[in-house]
Amino acid sequence: MSLPDLVLSLADNKQMLGLRYAEWATRAPSLEADIAAAAMGLDDLGHSRVLYGCLEPLGADPRGPQRESDPASLSNLAYFDEPWTEWSQFVAANAILDTAFTAMIEACVGGSVEVLQHRLRKMLMEERYHFLHGRSWLRSGIDSGPLDRAWYEAIEWFGPPDGETATLHREGKLSMGPADLRARVEEQLEMKAPRVTIDWKTWDPVRRRSGAGAVDQHTFAMLRGLEEKKYAPPSAAKQAAS
Amino acid sequence: MTGYKRVSGDAIEYEVFARKTRVEPLHQVGSVVAPDADLAMAYARATYDEERWCEMAIVRKDDVIHLWSPGEG
Repeated sequence: MSLPDLVLSLADNKQMLGLRYAEWATRAPSLEADIAAAAMGLDDLGHSRVLYGCLEPLGADPRGPQRESDPASLSNLAYFDEPWTEWSQFVAANAILDTAFTAMIEACVGGSVEVLQHRLRKMLMEERYHFLHGRSWLRSGIDSGPLDRAWYEAIEWFGPPDGETATLHREGKLSMGPADLRARVEEQLEMKAPRVTIDWKTWDPVRRRSGAGAVDQHTFAMLRGLEEKKYAPPSAAKQAAS
Repeated sequence: MTGYKRVSGDAIEYEVFARKTRVEPLHQVGSVVAPDADLAMAYARATYDEERWCEMAIVRKDDVIHLWSPGEG
């Protein structure tokens, strides 16, 4: 795992978070929440594009050709593998995971890598409203299942206490290490994370998760632009083939 | 600001004000309904973000003190 791997994981997760938010743009509990879901989705999709754009200046773009065929090559959390079926899943992602990603962005902006310092700063302003949205809905009360799962995956995503994230912190490239990142999210949300036990031996440092699995086929096809071809008129398909 | 209220239960209506430049006054751009100010801020920003506002503010509709209303002046 390297800094580009970490930025790629942040980008992939932001992309998936944005897509999952957008799926709720007509299903949230109120019109205002629908609009917020759409707006936050657009924000996070935009953030993912900025993050992908940082990979080349960082010196080593870790994206390989397998990303076109293998959904398991994406570095997204298992939380985003399938579309959410409950509003409480949306709220837990919004409050815990979005805040966890923002904490990592803060660590990048506060670190010594110039391209990240400059390009990621604006995201923090936009994320303030994601945070207010997530915290407010969280305070209204949600099921513990999605909440505990989101905390678990956030802590797992921050990485092991003696892993590469901690090394990047020691080198000054990140202003926070795994324990600081977790404390930052707890401080922001004014709540303690549940006690979690993670088997770091099975943790994949590139995908930053332990569990196997990958994003669902429909979403993967949509990301690759294959879904839209289903709706192309036959003449366009012929032209594309010739 | 109209007299019509679209709230029920615990929801509160907030008026949204914004301006594009420092030289113009804040003006009302719409309203949002939310159970608290945090969510109202998030909703106002999401709903009325189509312009490049230099300032945006929200006010609880209930906190506005009317001196008189249309037809009463």
